Amino acid sequence: MIQQIVALIIILFFISRLFWQRKNKKISGNEFIFWLVFWILAALLIISLKKIDSFVAALGFSGKGIDFLFYLSVVVLFYLVFTLGLKIEKIERDITKIVRKISLNDKEDKN
Amino acid sequence: MEKNFNKIVIVIPAYNEEKNIEKVINEVKPLVDELVIVDDGSNDRTFELAEKQGVTVLRHLINRGQGAALQTGDEYALNNQADIVVHFDADGQFLPREIKEIILPIQNGEADAVFGSRFLGKKSEIPRFKKIIIYPLAGLINKILINVSLTDPQNGFRALSRKALEKITIENDGMAHCSEILYKVFKNKLIIKEVPITVIYHDFGQGLFKGRGRGTGGFRIIKDLLLAKLMN
Repeated sequence: MIQQIVALIIILFFISRLFWQRKNKKISGNEFIFWLVFWILAALLIISLKKIDSFVAALGFSGKGIDFLFYLSVVVLFYLVFTLGLKIEKIERDITKIVRKISLNDKEDKN
Repeated sequence: MEKNFNKIVIVIPAYNEEKNIEKVINEVKPLVDELVIVDDGSNDRTFELAEKQGVTVLRHLINRGQGAALQTGDEYALNNQADIVVHFDADGQFLPREIKEIILPIQNGEADAVFGSRFLGKKSEIPRFKKIIIYPLAGLINKILINVSLTDPQNGFRALSRKALEKITIENDGMAHCSEILYKVFKNKLIIKEVPITVIYHDFGQGLFKGRGRGTGGFRIIKDLLLAKLMN
């Protein structure tokens, strides 16, 4: 119970940070919504830990609900890292296009 | 070089090649209509030395990898009415006199893309580890990932007709471009020919983990190929 309260306080802290960042225009609207949904979801999951416990048990896992959340977070993290990798690759390609364009333009200017 | 309707442009990517660049330029320049050096963000005097030789020099502001440099050269060649483009290396591992052999099938209208192969007759002294382990492995990966088999898929000495160039855009900045070009040549149903060439090994080149510049090393190449598959 105490752990749940601590976790909720931490989440509240992050949500307040989020509003503060939004107010100072440090993050875009989309990012704001993504993280807001993320933290609210996390809070809901923590509040309903008991239900998750029984849900996980019904699925046939021996672990507790919190373990399940932990597995889930690893999966989500992997997915985020993966999309990040793809995004970086795309940015790299765009950089190459810019570098190429500059080199070809420079040559034309000289001729 | 006899002047017919074929304008032959040779593209040589160069990254920190100040030791070899002048020699390569002097040897290759008389053999073709235009020599294009793409300086891929070298930290040494490659760019200055190449410019002094009076050839076309394109410069990448930062290092982008051999595939990226080749594509820059290809685009320049296309914009400047090239009929045949030859990819060549700056480190002196290929023999300039074999350029005429690699472009011949295109000039004769027998092929759109010609690949050099070090395993077809001519004698190259290949380091044992490369011969026994790396090349068969690379060949196998090419077979699995892009379903292409050639005697020497990782060879950087190749000639492409204008028709082939117009269809092929190299998107892999690193060394994975070798497989990418092959894949796109097959996909576009271009006519392929392999020609025996000689390779002179100066040093080991790239290992499994790291070579010189961006996008090199065996594992990195595999990663790039997989990533490219996911992106397209």
